[in-house]
Amino acid sequence: MSCLRWISYGAAAADKKKVFILNTNSGGHAVIGFYFAKELLGSGHEVTIMTVGDEGSDKMKKPPFNRFSEITSAGGKTVWGDPADVGNVVAGATFDVVLDNNGKDLDTVRPVIDWAKSSGVKHFLFISSAGIYKPTDEPPHVEGDVVKADAGHVGVEKYIAEVFGSWAVFRPQYMIGSGNNKDCEEWFFDHKNRPVPIPGSGMQLTNIAHVRDLSSMLTLAVEKPEAASCNIFNCVSNRTVTLDGMARLCAEAAGLPVEIVHYDPKAVGADAKKAFPFRNMHFYAEPRAPKDRLGWEGTTNLQDDLKERFKEYVKIGRDKKPMQFEIDDKILEALKVPVAV
Amino acid sequence: MAKLVVLQPTKQPPISLLSSSLSNGTKLCQIQVTLFTRGKAPVTQQLPGESDSDYSDFKSKVLHLKRDRQDSEFVKSSLSAEGYDVVYDINGTRLLASNSQYRFICLKPVSKRCQYHTLHDCILFCCINLKSDILPHCEVDAVDPKSRHKGKLNTESLLETSGVNWTSLRPVYIYGPLNYNPVEEWVFHHLKAGRPIPIRNSGVQITQLGHVKDLATAFVQVLGNEKASKQVFNISGEKYITFDGLAKACAKAGGFPEPEIIHYNPKEFDFGKKKAFPFRDQHFFASVEKAKHVLGWKPEFDLVEGLTDSYNLDFSRGTYRKEADFSTDDMILNKSFALQS
Repeated sequence: MSCLRWISYGAAAADKKKVFILNTNSGGHAVIGFYFAKELLGSGHEVTIMTVGDEGSDKMKKPPFNRFSEITSAGGKTVWGDPADVGNVVAGATFDVVLDNNGKDLDTVRPVIDWAKSSGVKHFLFISSAGIYKPTDEPPHVEGDVVKADAGHVGVEKYIAEVFGSWAVFRPQYMIGSGNNKDCEEWFFDHKNRPVPIPGSGMQLTNIAHVRDLSSMLTLAVEKPEAASCNIFNCVSNRTVTLDGMARLCAEAAGLPVEIVHYDPKAVGADAKKAFPFRNMHFYAEPRAPKDRLGWEGTTNLQDDLKERFKEYVKIGRDKKPMQFEIDDKILEALKVPVAV
Repeated sequence: MAKLVVLQPTKQPPISLLSSSLSNGTKLCQIQVTLFTRGKAPVTQQLPGESDSDYSDFKSKVLHLKRDRQDSEFVKSSLSAEGYDVVYDINGTRLLASNSQYRFICLKPVSKRCQYHTLHDCILFCCINLKSDILPHCEVDAVDPKSRHKGKLNTESLLETSGVNWTSLRPVYIYGPLNYNPVEEWVFHHLKAGRPIPIRNSGVQITQLGHVKDLATAFVQVLGNEKASKQVFNISGEKYITFDGLAKACAKAGGFPEPEIIHYNPKEFDFGKKKAFPFRDQHFFASVEKAKHVLGWKPEFDLVEGLTDSYNLDFSRGTYRKEADFSTDDMILNKSFALQS
């Protein structure tokens, strides 16, 4: 009896990994490390998550950082510091897998890659970006397609492949999920009872995934290292949605009608990047490699997921928050569209 | 040897190409092809680039049953008399079989109710025309009760309940030499005439083209294939294309300079019954990943290669199905010149 138990513990221990996550302290990708840490801990792996900067900084008052007790109570370790000093921050601990969910250029990630290699890490994972794909008339962006040679992430991807025998690179687009550090669907929810100004035709395609899908992909890569090794994965949802479609789905989730107004940013003198949270062009990658190589399945269902998101939006009182729409007002004025007061 | 009869209306898609592929592909499966037509036009057509000896070899193997297929009694009796195993009905509107041994292959968007009497096997070929914010169209949408896209065609429902062994193949836009539907031909006419290409609205609408040869390959692969039983497969190109992109791709294929594209608002014109543009004014594309994973099918052609094939074997030789008609173009161009002056 005790012999059998030893064997099962032995097998389980061999499958369990010691994972180190280096997490950004702000922005759209911050939530990835949070979900990934929790999923790994739920599967019995050991997790240390290092957030860039100081534990006491104001940035840590925002989600997901203000929910890190969910990581520690599940047995995860949280540390803070400078990526260039990572070896000291982890006080000489060793890991099987490292995920860098922070750097966008080689200067920032190189010290992490070098430390990981020298401390015996076997698998290096990197959160890159689908934004590095060269725009195309023939969507979708598929793993292996041409990328912009001068993009910072590209330099990192190349260096990782030079240094590590086993690596995987993940290229996400946009994501939603509780604990998100950056607004995504909230922009649309904020527009309740106001016209929604969308640049261009509104037919532009984008990809918005629930962060649990990104987390499950990363977890599969940890648990199937041979299958994941030396691969690029588009870390996105199964489906694309049009910009107009996203506006409609958010309105539906909020139980409200929607009035979409299209505009030409140049004609109205607006900076589309500041005026609108998504790229004003087709930006559409498909997760073909994750399905082919990892057997990954996406679960994002924007209709259902946005309903959940709206519930939380109301629960935290955001729907009652007074808001300013300076840029919107300028656009609508230029188009002579009335706004109900 | 299995006997296959094709119920073929006189003007129809590159049935020669399909029949030829079927015949060639099924040499291994020992299938004899009979074409059942009214006899108004030759039943076989030499494919561009096909050698005389190959063509006469194919032609000699193809049997011809000459009778009006509207004469359903004759159809029934001759089908049963000849003991066909596979009935290949291009129209798919009225499939008749009195013998439970039949396998049916329908090759057309199926919109009307079909009557299936104790069919044995059936391969359906149909389109889904759905306007959607969330894409791509996937096979699972038709059967997912939670899916917003649940628009299961009557035929597929019928087949499921009939106990027939069936496969449904769904193309998007088919192209290739001898294409009866002027898709690429419409663009080639413009390029040859050195005319600007008028594209409806923004030109960022995304469509998808699949080479007929790749479709024919899929047909052969599903015949007698257990994995294809009672399954739906989207069959088209692996990458999609914007309307503007398609104009440029056709230019590349034909060795033309990059075309001038003019966007117009169709609401400002009354084209009467004329079609000013050969594509649906919406995003329309489907994922072909299921066919790739389940059947191991993979398109041979990418878009520019396929359009080059179509151009070299058809249009560039002076052959096309529809005469060039620039009357709607002129309406559009006249208006835009008037606006400029």
